[in-house]
Amino acid sequence: MLESRNIVKKFLNKTAVDGISVKLSPGRVYAMLGPNGSGKTTWMKMAAGLIKPTSGEMLYEGTPVGIESRKHITYMSTEPYFYTWMTAGDAGRYYADFFEDFHMDSYLSLLERMELRPEMKTRSLSSGMMAKMKIAVTLARDARVYLLDEPFNGIDLLARDEIRQTILERAGEDKTMMLSSHLVEEMEAIADTALFIKDGRLAEEADLEALRTERGLSMADRYREIYGHTEVRA
Amino acid sequence: MKNLMKYEFRKTLFTKLMVLGLTAMAQIAFLIGLYGDNERVLAAGVVLLTLLAFGGITVIGLASVVILHRDMNTKQSYMLFMTPNSSYKILGAKMLENGLSILLCGAFFFALGALDITLLFGRQGLLNELWNTLREMLQTIDSRITLDYPTMLALTANILATWISTVSCAYLGVVISTALFSGRRWSGFVSFLIILALLWLTGFIQLKGTAPIEAVRTVFLVDAAIAMGLSAVMYLVTVQIMERKLSV
Amino acid sequence: MDFEPNRPIWLQVMNALETDIVTGRRPPGDKLPGGRELALHYSINPNTAARVYQELEKAGLCETRRGLGTYVTEDQTRIRALRMELAQNAARDFLNRMETLGLSPAEISALLWKQEE
Repeated sequence: MLESRNIVKKFLNKTAVDGISVKLSPGRVYAMLGPNGSGKTTWMKMAAGLIKPTSGEMLYEGTPVGIESRKHITYMSTEPYFYTWMTAGDAGRYYADFFEDFHMDSYLSLLERMELRPEMKTRSLSSGMMAKMKIAVTLARDARVYLLDEPFNGIDLLARDEIRQTILERAGEDKTMMLSSHLVEEMEAIADTALFIKDGRLAEEADLEALRTERGLSMADRYREIYGHTEVRA
Repeated sequence: MKNLMKYEFRKTLFTKLMVLGLTAMAQIAFLIGLYGDNERVLAAGVVLLTLLAFGGITVIGLASVVILHRDMNTKQSYMLFMTPNSSYKILGAKMLENGLSILLCGAFFFALGALDITLLFGRQGLLNELWNTLREMLQTIDSRITLDYPTMLALTANILATWISTVSCAYLGVVISTALFSGRRWSGFVSFLIILALLWLTGFIQLKGTAPIEAVRTVFLVDAAIAMGLSAVMYLVTVQIMERKLSV
Repeated sequence: MDFEPNRPIWLQVMNALETDIVTGRRPPGDKLPGGRELALHYSINPNTAARVYQELEKAGLCETRRGLGTYVTEDQTRIRALRMELAQNAARDFLNRMETLGLSPAEISALLWKQEE
């Protein structure tokens, strides 16, 4: 479905992604893990077609990502990106104007579950509320691929449960979900595959239940093994 | 495309309302001066309206360059570039919306000017003096300019088209700065130099293109046509760079 | 439900359902939630939820009726056997723990009698 082939992204003075090859299958929930600056965000932005790779390829259904793939891939960035004049409702209408797979009714009900109202100004949302709004607008698309960069950041415990639940509601046999987070524990039960990214490379692709069955290791345990104790963030 | 233009319009709405509001105030001053027989208020109104006509068009163009810069260099860039639209459409919507705004703004001020001059005619006493001042002002720009509506219309078209091509040069400069030199030192300065070079080049082409023509009205119109042609070329070059190199 | 993240999650959910079957919370012939519903109910991955039913079926504890869904087995013998399996597991865990604490079989037995009173 989504595949990166030896993809590289170099910025002026550093290599953010250094040759990642990975093929994502439908019906799976991936957890993309790695410390800050390991290349997760850059990889996702290349998949979303926002950043052009220095070399290598990012393919959706066999063709390089671009205008066509944006119709089927929905991406949520870590940072807020709405126009400052927008209310939550405006943001929904914007998505409705540009994405055929956006469902306003499901957006409105997601907003309600996240305890947000359409007339709230995006500019004056707290960071937690903004995080929830980004989730709502991204998940209200009935896309094939969901790329969620740090969906649990800045969100309190109860809302995290709600977000996990909405992510699971969207997951399906024909859909690929990709989540990145520092909050490894939040993803233990909902992900089935972990992609450990280290220094811009794919250190390991692990089936989580196999990891538990064969080695008695949780995703967090394996994270500690790969990155060493010092870099673990709870 | 319609949706993209709708949001481009929304982004520049504040600037446009500002210009409109200030113009309304100047126009009120003009009318008060005219019908209250207060020459100083009238003069202030005329000066303000003239300034706003040029300032308004300038500001609308500049605002769109600032917005383009923001749409490419801040996180707001995702709003445009995550949508399934090509750079042709994204930049096209910006240029069309801005070009139309500049043309409409120009037409608006041209009509308002024509109306106010007609009103001045109605109050004969004041007219001749102002009329002479205006004529002298125009003669300093180009001695061949005569004061008749067709020439004025051609001059307006010329000013607007030249401004649109100037804005196009600035678009190209911004895109070069972001797509090719993003984050490098001196990128802003280099883009500024590129914009200056482009402006000089377009000016040069316009000058060469109109050199053999005698009639002043034709010069204005051909000059305007060349400016529009150059804007189109600038658009195509800008889009090519965006499609190939732009990362937001 | 809180999971132990280093033990297979399908196994933990399966154990929870087995307990429900033995205690009668899910009686014989009861319709079990669909795979998606199970995933949402326990907040687990849908593939993990599917695995739970595969394993339950393999263990003869439920059966999938085509187009209708998954049902708890009506085989009472199987359910009685399950009760014993779970009891044995619990007993083994208990004994392991006592052993770690250094209690002899006689002490353990005495302890149990005392608890009963």
